[in-house]
Amino acid sequence: MRPRIVFHIFRKDLVETLRDRRTVIMAFVVPALIYPLLFTLLGSVAVDKRGELERTRARVAAWGPVPDPVLEAVTRQARADVVDRRATPPADVESEARRLVSSKTAHVVLVTPAGAAPPSIPIRVLADSTNVDSDAMERRVARVVQAQGGELLRQRMTTLGQAPAAARPLDVSEEDLADATRRGASFAAALLPYLLLVLVATSGFYAALDLTAGEKERGTLQTLLTAPVRSVEIVAGKYLAVLALTLAATVCNLGSIALALARGTAAMEAGARFSLGLASAGAIFLTVLPAALLIVAVLMAVGVMARSYREGQSYLMPILLLVMLAGFASFLPGAELSPGTALVPLLDVTLLVHDILVGKAGATQVMVVWAVSLAWAAIGIVLTARVFQTEQVLLSGEKPWRDVFSPGVRSGRGLTPGNAVLFAALLLVLTFYGSALFERRTGLVPMILGTQLGFFLVPSVLWCRLFRVPLRETLQLRWPTGRGWAATVLLAGGGWSVGAAVWEQLLRFPGARAYSDWLGELLGKQGRLELGTALFLVALLPAVAEEITFRGVVLAGLRRSGSRWIAVVGSALVFGLFHFNPYHVVAATAVGLLLGWVALESGSIVPGMLIHLVNNGVQVLGERLPAVGERVGSPVVVGAALAATALGAWLARGSRPPMPAPVPAVPVSLSAPRR
Amino acid sequence: MIEARGLTKRFGEIVAASDVTFSVGRGEVVGLLGPNGAGKTTVLRMLAGVLTPTAGDVRIAGHGTEGEAFELKRSLGFLTGDTALYQRLTPREVLRYFGRLHEIPEPALAPRVDALVRRFRLSEFADRPCGKLSAGQKQRANIARAFVHDPPALILDEPTTALDVVTGRFLLEAFREARAAGKAILFSTHVLGDAEALCDRVVLLHRGEVLDQGTVEEVCARAGARTLTDAFLARVGDEVAA
Repeated sequence: MRPRIVFHIFRKDLVETLRDRRTVIMAFVVPALIYPLLFTLLGSVAVDKRGELERTRARVAAWGPVPDPVLEAVTRQARADVVDRRATPPADVESEARRLVSSKTAHVVLVTPAGAAPPSIPIRVLADSTNVDSDAMERRVARVVQAQGGELLRQRMTTLGQAPAAARPLDVSEEDLADATRRGASFAAALLPYLLLVLVATSGFYAALDLTAGEKERGTLQTLLTAPVRSVEIVAGKYLAVLALTLAATVCNLGSIALALARGTAAMEAGARFSLGLASAGAIFLTVLPAALLIVAVLMAVGVMARSYREGQSYLMPILLLVMLAGFASFLPGAELSPGTALVPLLDVTLLVHDILVGKAGATQVMVVWAVSLAWAAIGIVLTARVFQTEQVLLSGEKPWRDVFSPGVRSGRGLTPGNAVLFAALLLVLTFYGSALFERRTGLVPMILGTQLGFFLVPSVLWCRLFRVPLRETLQLRWPTGRGWAATVLLAGGGWSVGAAVWEQLLRFPGARAYSDWLGELLGKQGRLELGTALFLVALLPAVAEEITFRGVVLAGLRRSGSRWIAVVGSALVFGLFHFNPYHVVAATAVGLLLGWVALESGSIVPGMLIHLVNNGVQVLGERLPAVGERVGSPVVVGAALAATALGAWLARGSRPPMPAPVPAVPVSLSAPRR
Repeated sequence: MIEARGLTKRFGEIVAASDVTFSVGRGEVVGLLGPNGAGKTTVLRMLAGVLTPTAGDVRIAGHGTEGEAFELKRSLGFLTGDTALYQRLTPREVLRYFGRLHEIPEPALAPRVDALVRRFRLSEFADRPCGKLSAGQKQRANIARAFVHDPPALILDEPTTALDVVTGRFLLEAFREARAAGKAILFSTHVLGDAEALCDRVVLLHRGEVLDQGTVEEVCARAGARTLTDAFLARVGDEVAA
């Protein structure tokens, strides 16, 4: 993939879309006008209504022997007029009261049954809760009636020579612990996740439609296909353009909402205040980003199936509804982020944004949702790339699904970047839930064995078999050259220092020390595992299984992107993500950069395996044997190891054995020839 | 320069092209003629690397579709009725965009675009959105787009259809100039008069198969007809009517 070409396509699509009045109006102008208008209008209506209710005198009907002191208090304190006074209540009290309220003759009806007498006189306060005026007046009148009851009790107690407080053995008062900020956050936590997801989907809707179905309808997609561009470059350029427009429109929309809220705060619940800190805003943006990646990918994959803009609208509408459904979870009481809900795309984002806003989300929780969301987004992006590589979809849009989902489309042609991303995404979901299940049901040893063998080694081999790629060549299962061996010895001896140096820096951050201690215990510090078992499970097994997965399958796919940077950084990031904890992700990514680079330079997976083995082995030994721990922790040893690493890296450079150039990753035309 | 060898394309049960073989040499214009549904567009799309052949080979300037798609597309200027222009970009922007996709260096791009604007007489509307151009103006801009990377081979599908006489004549003249410059041109048209006037050889395609090919005179002689139109009707007219 050539970034320059992707940029040209991205820029053209951006310019073209921004010149489309329909897209700009729907994505930017309408929301920018709607929210201020809506909030200002609602705010002013709410304020007007509240003022009107304050000024209006309540109209009260009193039926039966309602005590005069009560009526006097209601008239005076609740600012009410008795508009219908009857000595005896009618036969059908409810119907008659309903009639009075609906005809606006009265807001509230007070009813005391005929014959009621002290010491306890029942008073019913009837109002219609669906009628705003009646409901508000009921609160005003009922409060006064209750207060009058309290006053009568106080008088009686005094007459009896008792302290009024004696009638209240328990003086109960309800107080809300949540201050105005928390109430505001709770309000925002219900609304904002839904709003964010819906904004992303609606913002991307028209841009995705215009650049897929719209282009097909206008015939410009075929024009583009006549140019020397890879289909993956077309997808990337268009995808980035839609994503940029989506994020820009979402930010504009949110800005518009924020401004409108600031002006129309009267519309908000009284006593609620909402402000978003920079850290929370950043966390929310980073949480919504993978959701945007997924939504845009799905919109584009489905949009390009349509033969016309109109057909595309019908195709994309159900997606919009699904997004709204996922966002709606934030309104549901009891909906919580759990291992189950974290698996559901978009729902996990909704619940995490909710938790961030109410201050419940922890770093691990955030990391897990990011990893799972990124995995879903990757699956979506790969799907989109597959759709764009299906010639029938691009040229006619007829019967495309079989081609899109058929694994045989690329069989025998080697793993591709999209294929590698799909593999990593599926594996990420499988590993996260699978290892959690193992840990709960079986314990540490079966968990490590199951993860390494069942989630890394076996799926990697099966994946290669499924796509009929030569195992040895794809995974680089060959010995390094003499120079490669020399580099390997140095890198294995010193490579562990890369992770150690990164860890040393990470320990400055809050929470890192606790995680490091927990990891130390896992590695055997507390004697949970025998030293030999620990070395086998934590050093040898991952060195083989993880190298085959990450420097084998994942790197093999990514290196056919044509960019060494994408291959090394991409495989390192994927490797890092599988460590789930934020600190471990950073450290593992750093080690992954070294391992990926060495695998590319040496043309062999063996050096990586040995470096990985020693790296993990040093960690185990460092935790188990205090003398080793002290030595590997000393700046001198780390410095020497880093120097050995640098020398090894220099030696490894270009040490791969001569071999034929790889076959280009992307088919020369839109799909492999079917013979 | 342009070679089709045994090109076959199947869409499920439908055979859109079957064992199509012909070639176009340097400085030669060959007409690909056939009624609607004959498979012309499918053959042209396979030649341009837009469609993958089910069987057979394509060579453009020596480059095949397998592993050399980039070189193939760089050697080819392609225009069909389906290759439209971006409605919201101007012809000048379209030319610049395709020039960049063909990786023409930026310093060379502006003079190249200016030269094409002059050559295809686009100056008057070069900075107007393509969506606001007439059919003739759009076609001139689109042909300029096919020439932007100065390819040695050109595939032009119905380039003069639905154009006024003046624009049609202008474009035919431009194709003659290209031929004189040594370019290989594969030219598909319904306007048999144009084919007769411009083509050195013709290929008659019907129901996805090559019925005949050769110079206009040879094809007419084999069909026992005086004109290309008569020869064409003699070979496919009755079947089309049926």
